[in-house]
Amino acid sequence: MAEGGAGEPPPPPRAPLERLVLKNAAEHHYLRVSLEFPDGGVRLNAAHFKQLVVSALKELHGEVGAALPVDVLTYDEKTLSAILRVSSSGFVKLWSALTLLGSYQNRKCAFRVVQTSPFLLALSGNSRELVLD
Amino acid sequence: MSAPLRRLRETPRHLLVCERSHVRHERSRHAARVRGHAYNCRVSFLIPECGVLPEPLKSVTTDMGEYYLVKNLPLHELVAQEFISAFVKTGSCYALSYNTRIDQDNTAALLPTDCHSPLKHIGKLILSVDKDTYEELGLQGRPSRYSGKKIMRYIITIDLTDSAFHSDSKKYKRVLWALRDKKPLEFDFLLSWHHTGADGSTLMSYFSKHQIQAHQPKITFSTLRNLQCPVLCSNELQGKPEESCSAQELFEWLGAVFSNVELDNKSFSFVSTYCCPEPSTMMDQAYLCTITGFILPEKIIQLLDQLCAYFDDPKLAQWVTLTVHGFADSPVSWRENEHGFQKGGENLYNFVVFRSLDYWLQMAVGANDDCPP
Amino acid sequence: MVRFKHRYLLCEVVAEDPRCRHCIDERAVTTAAKGALARAHGDYGLACCSIAFTVKYLNAYTGVVLLRCRKDFYRLLWSALPLVTHLESRGQRHPCFFHTLHVGGTIRSCQKFLIQYNRRQLVMLLNSCTNKEERESIQQSLLGCFLQEAEEEQFQSGEEEDDCAETD
Repeated sequence: MAEGGAGEPPPPPRAPLERLVLKNAAEHHYLRVSLEFPDGGVRLNAAHFKQLVVSALKELHGEVGAALPVDVLTYDEKTLSAILRVSSSGFVKLWSALTLLGSYQNRKCAFRVVQTSPFLLALSGNSRELVLD
Repeated sequence: MSAPLRRLRETPRHLLVCERSHVRHERSRHAARVRGHAYNCRVSFLIPECGVLPEPLKSVTTDMGEYYLVKNLPLHELVAQEFISAFVKTGSCYALSYNTRIDQDNTAALLPTDCHSPLKHIGKLILSVDKDTYEELGLQGRPSRYSGKKIMRYIITIDLTDSAFHSDSKKYKRVLWALRDKKPLEFDFLLSWHHTGADGSTLMSYFSKHQIQAHQPKITFSTLRNLQCPVLCSNELQGKPEESCSAQELFEWLGAVFSNVELDNKSFSFVSTYCCPEPSTMMDQAYLCTITGFILPEKIIQLLDQLCAYFDDPKLAQWVTLTVHGFADSPVSWRENEHGFQKGGENLYNFVVFRSLDYWLQMAVGANDDCPP
Repeated sequence: MVRFKHRYLLCEVVAEDPRCRHCIDERAVTTAAKGALARAHGDYGLACCSIAFTVKYLNAYTGVVLLRCRKDFYRLLWSALPLVTHLESRGQRHPCFFHTLHVGGTIRSCQKFLIQYNRRQLVMLLNSCTNKEERESIQQSLLGCFLQEAEEEQFQSGEEEDDCAETD
């Protein structure tokens, strides 16, 4: 977690140039995920979705894992896709828990992690989704 | 803590570089930063307290330039002397292989001749290939910096405008032989050509033998109502408690706005506890425009200039932002810095231009990247 | 030679009900510890700590148990032990809790600590004695402690080899 200015000398008020390099300083990590059911037709609201994420965490990482601060930033009921936010130290735990989740109410399901990033801004522009025909 | 448990808490490397300067300052490098980032897939700008775009800004937005998609283009076409003299040497020619994933496929990119800094990158073809292809090709390259102990990926750089790279030279013949006969590589290419006074359609006629389509960048406008906005102070890059927000907080907020995230959650909310960084103000409306396609840095500079010109007349807005997303699968990020895809492949930058024409520039890269310039 | 490094957790089972003593056996302790692990750290934590997990020593009279697990993951086990609330044997639940006395890298260091600890306990008992017989019997035990330690010193070299064999 190094943090330091580079290039220009320490700025007096209204210094013309200032540079700040933040290395591994992101507080949160973001995941764009979608939930898939092989037979479809399952409806979940945002609270149920979050509950499912927490139960996945609880299964793999126990109560300690379930206590991780996870936020469902956006959730689309139609496509069952969401953007999750998790503190950086819990990123690997959350990802692994989502991967290993296998069922919801005795119905098979799977989480697909579409994109991950330490910057929320990066999730809004995925070049791999650029489709031209 | 032991290694396995520590690894459970670690995240891949990422960098965020924040710069602060003034647009008119003679040492300001904002244009060079934009020009150095060759491949851009999405440009968005956000103007607070704006209902209708001013005419000059609108015309720049709608004229972001055509780009072309050529299907199954043999790579040796890009090193043909005819192509080099017609496009690479005369203007800025950009090419990037389309739908190739840099972490598993071969990828090719053509960096343009940069007329502003003739020594920096001058019409280079960059190939990022896996080990097998590299060995079959028999061209000189170097191992990728992010390939690990067992090298599985190589980077080949071919300088197309080198004086030793003419049609009779041994080097040229070798490259042509490798790409045409030894290991013929084919890619779908995104192509664009910038040359003042010439039309891009020359490119279309040149590649008329191949399947080529022209595309216009996709533009979406939206007006956001009742948007909660962080308060920024141009002198305080790191923010001041109770007075202004830091560059990092703004970066996250901007991502939240672009992804339509709810900004006013309660701290006890079960689903999400994200909220707008404090201090913040409520805005009646904000104008958000997003342009998606293969966008040239030259056009982004024009857009940035127009955004600065937005403050020529007195405006309600304190600042505007311009966000540019790079291609996750391009072999370079800024200039010739190698770029890779580990977890996200992000390479993006964001300008915040203040009313005083001070600006913040934030550049973010992921794990397999050099530090931005 | 590389060996797997372990951590030994010396714990005391504390229960109000003296009948709990009878139910301290290897299986009950293992089930209780693993149950707490699964609850606190989930499948991942349980799997991590199950590698080389054993109850190395168990004293049903004093309620002392010695648990072993891999060095990399002992923190998981350590943090889960306070969550044990009962031991279960023959279908009966006995409320109790685990009090971790010492965490050591070898059985021997735990043994040394245990002797020291027991002696301190005896001294405390001595101070709170009410009659002569009790006092005498405790003094006798205290002397025993010293003797045992002296004996150990003699066999030190031999025992340490044993220790290595355990941890391999």
